[in-house]
Amino acid sequence: MVIDIKNISKSFATKDKEFTALEDINLSIGEGELICLLGPSGCGKTTLLRLIGGLEKADSGEIYDRGELVTGPSKERGFIFQQYSLFPWLNVLDNVMFGLNLSGDKSKEENLAAAERYLERVGLAEFKYNYPHELSGGMKQRVAIIRSLLNHTPVLLMDEPFSAVDMLNRHNLQEQLIEVWKRFNSTIVFVTHDVDEAVYLADKIVVMDKKPGRIKEIVSVDLPHPRQRESKEFLNFQDQIEKLLGVWEI
Amino acid sequence: MIILKFEKKLLPFILPILLIVVWYIITSGLNLVPYYILPSPVDVFGAGANLVMNGKLLDNTINTLIKVFLGIILASVVAIPLGILLGWYESLDKLSSLIISILRPIPPIAWIPFSILWFGIGLSSAVFVIFVGCVFSVLVYTIDGVKRTDKVLIEAASTLGANNWDILTKVVLPSSLPYIVSGLKVGVSIALMCTVSAEMIVSSKGLGYMILTASTLFDPGTMVVGMIIIGIIGILFDLGFRKAQDKIFW
Repeated sequence: MVIDIKNISKSFATKDKEFTALEDINLSIGEGELICLLGPSGCGKTTLLRLIGGLEKADSGEIYDRGELVTGPSKERGFIFQQYSLFPWLNVLDNVMFGLNLSGDKSKEENLAAAERYLERVGLAEFKYNYPHELSGGMKQRVAIIRSLLNHTPVLLMDEPFSAVDMLNRHNLQEQLIEVWKRFNSTIVFVTHDVDEAVYLADKIVVMDKKPGRIKEIVSVDLPHPRQRESKEFLNFQDQIEKLLGVWEI
Repeated sequence: MIILKFEKKLLPFILPILLIVVWYIITSGLNLVPYYILPSPVDVFGAGANLVMNGKLLDNTINTLIKVFLGIILASVVAIPLGILLGWYESLDKLSSLIISILRPIPPIAWIPFSILWFGIGLSSAVFVIFVGCVFSVLVYTIDGVKRTDKVLIEAASTLGANNWDILTKVVLPSSLPYIVSGLKVGVSIALMCTVSAEMIVSSKGLGYMILTASTLFDPGTMVVGMIIIGIIGILFDLGFRKAQDKIFW
């Protein structure tokens, strides 16, 4: 197992009361798996992802990344945020090289060559000297993904990265993500509230429930990629998940 | 369209020209105001030509500019690193906020007696007053800029392998740069005011000194020349900072 989540609980204190975001979560994620955390808002899916990323501390329980206890953020676990997280003062090329330049393992020329190669692969080469504010939302998220992949990050944690993108582009990005996932053999944990997105992407869908946030059921989606949205099997999975989620989801 | 554009560019010059015309009419034209109350534009022009010829104008202007620059540089060297620290560590900010709030509203001129005690009459004394004048605005703006750093950028950097030092220098500093420049802009305008006041009291050179000496010598033409030059220096600084802001505001 790559990620082992053991008895994780987490609550947040608001002004007058405490609310339990996650209660006693146990989950194991295998190498090369693409897992979707799916659930209504308030079910703690983002909190769980942030805990795996080390961006948040649990009240109790432990998370292990390849046997090592997670104590804080690390470049071993890349994080793609829902909000755009590119550095606005750096152009695309410098943004994607940010992590590489920090580590200083390789020469600047090697980093540059790698960055250009990666950007080429996702069709962003011609934008390498553009600044983030000149890119569309979908392009920004692609750059952010490349920035993490270039860092040789084996685990990618993605927090509703395509939620701000229109549907057509979203489908495109999902397709690209599947390609990237296969090529780099990454382990991906993907948070979404979109059933279609989860069924399209995931090996396993972790369906969550709220008040308190917990895992309701884990559904394996054994359909080959690329998945056909119109196919009977796809629609069946969608139905099944929607039933699990209950009334709140359309 | 071209005429309209031209007119728009001309618009700011109408009032100054009108002012000079009125000024000319009430002085040289109709002799309504005596020379020692308000010199005519012709007198000012004559005084200016004289000051340019004997090199005093250039000397004093350069002297004033040197003081302004020294003061600003000194203030930046102190205020920018300190501001980053205070903005980053909440406890340091709390520790220092009261003392900054008390010191900040004290007019820089009020420091002149102490500057004379500590540094005597001369360059260092004036530079000290200028330093006190602009250090707080640079400091307060820097603190503000650091605090406004987008949290997601800090988290993104930490998941790309950045340590605390990397985050301060490669994320927080560039992200607060626009605020720091705004602080410097405000600081320079205060510095210019302080410089002239300080020169009138603790210096034997510079535009402020030139104006004060001219008044004791009943030379109002030179006084006005000095004032106009100060105004022009102010405009040039402002333009420079605007250019810098255009470049770094993304």
